[in-house]
Amino acid sequence: MIPSIKIARKYALSALLIGIFVIMATIPGYIAPYGPSERFGGYQTPSTAHIMGTDDMGRDIFSLLVHAARLSLLIGVVSGVLAIGIGVIVGLLSGWLGGIWDDIFMGLTDTVLILPKIPLIIVMAAYLEPGPKLLIVTLGLLSWESGARVVRAKVLQVRTMGFVLSARCFGFSSAYILSREILPVLFPVIVPKFVLVTASAMIAEASLSFLGLSDPTMISWGVMISDAFTHSGFIRHMWYWWLPPTLCIILGVCAITSIAFLYEGRTRELIQL
Amino acid sequence: MLILHADCIGKEYRKEGHKDLVFSSFSVDVHMGETVGLVGPSGCGKSTCARVLAGLEKPSRGRVLYRGKDIHTLTRAEWSQFRREVQVIFQDPVGSFNPTQTIGQSMTAVLKHVHVPGDEHENELAHVFHHVGLQMEILSRYPDQISGGQAQRAAIARGMIMQPRVMILDEPTSALDVSVQAQILHLLTYVQKEHKIAYVFISHDIDVVEYMSHTIVKMQEISCKMKK
Repeated sequence: MIPSIKIARKYALSALLIGIFVIMATIPGYIAPYGPSERFGGYQTPSTAHIMGTDDMGRDIFSLLVHAARLSLLIGVVSGVLAIGIGVIVGLLSGWLGGIWDDIFMGLTDTVLILPKIPLIIVMAAYLEPGPKLLIVTLGLLSWESGARVVRAKVLQVRTMGFVLSARCFGFSSAYILSREILPVLFPVIVPKFVLVTASAMIAEASLSFLGLSDPTMISWGVMISDAFTHSGFIRHMWYWWLPPTLCIILGVCAITSIAFLYEGRTRELIQL
Repeated sequence: MLILHADCIGKEYRKEGHKDLVFSSFSVDVHMGETVGLVGPSGCGKSTCARVLAGLEKPSRGRVLYRGKDIHTLTRAEWSQFRREVQVIFQDPVGSFNPTQTIGQSMTAVLKHVHVPGDEHENELAHVFHHVGLQMEILSRYPDQISGGQAQRAAIARGMIMQPRVMILDEPTSALDVSVQAQILHLLTYVQKEHKIAYVFISHDIDVVEYMSHTIVKMQEISCKMKK
């Protein structure tokens, strides 16, 4: 009982923060006092009507902050799902098939690993229409390599273990063994990898938005910081404009990462199989 | 009747350009209902040989024949039959079960695989568990929540579901304490008498092998075959 209370306490703060962000992302209309495109007087300081003031276009900053959660989390989570999905498939096949297939898949993985991601995304954004879809696809397609390597290493370790050899003896198909016998054992390494990729995708989204390489009409925390920078928010010392989205990114990434580390810590026995 | 025959098999692994020979020129005949003991010091290739005999690895040279046919040239249907009829019991009984599944889930997966209808699973499990002397209550436990002896009995029960003709027992008692070893050996003897299963019994313990086997093959002297 006592250890479970301790674990619950460790998770509590991270879970609370993630819970708040998820609520902001799913029902922003119930939390934000105004719509994201409603306009008032520009550059207002915090007041009872606008607790974080207004931006250059007169939009309520608190309302923008709430509405921006959806896109920031969506880009992070969907990129994470895409990256870990590709990574798991490549890692499983590479470790299981071995031989020439292992060489091909790992060659591909090493190629993606050495690609400079941000410069590549900048070039892609210059030629393609920047927006959430491009960010999700690009971040997802360029972030699977570390997951693939971890999964492959684990498959190489697990494939000679008794329970996998037993499954082969019973005549189960490779697809069955990979999906039902090996994949569940890999969850303790896949889940932390997924949340870390999600966190790094959120940072990448903020970085690219700050560089002005995302759709300027979309509302995300990165775009809010970029707007504050390019529309005199920093010069006017409007910390209430750029600081809240910055804190949301930092707290979101920290909460997601700490959940990953706590999960990894709890499942260490299974990881060390 | 000869059921499994290894014809001058050898196994080597390629490591960084050079070949690492595990064992070579190993031949053995396994007859229906008999036990062939395979004995040798640690590292002589007994477990590798077991995997080759079970079709889990291809031999680098020689052939393994099951019912007179090379197991690596079998048709799909013949391979399915081979997979059903040749089972392996591994040294680490707990490690033979998936750590993320309960014993019941592992058992049910095999029952589904051999197309036993869902409403007959409980009766089938009760039957094999009674056979190996296990209580049904362990079905809800995970592998690390049962003893080594229970895990080895459960592994034998799971193998029995397939109704095998040959069982390759790779050091089945070496991870168990002496009293449990004796129980497992008695169980294996009883199962063999009941079902006329052929055993390939692998161990580094010559006394255990002598107790269990009709024929003994020493791996360090591969060409030497001793008849008891």
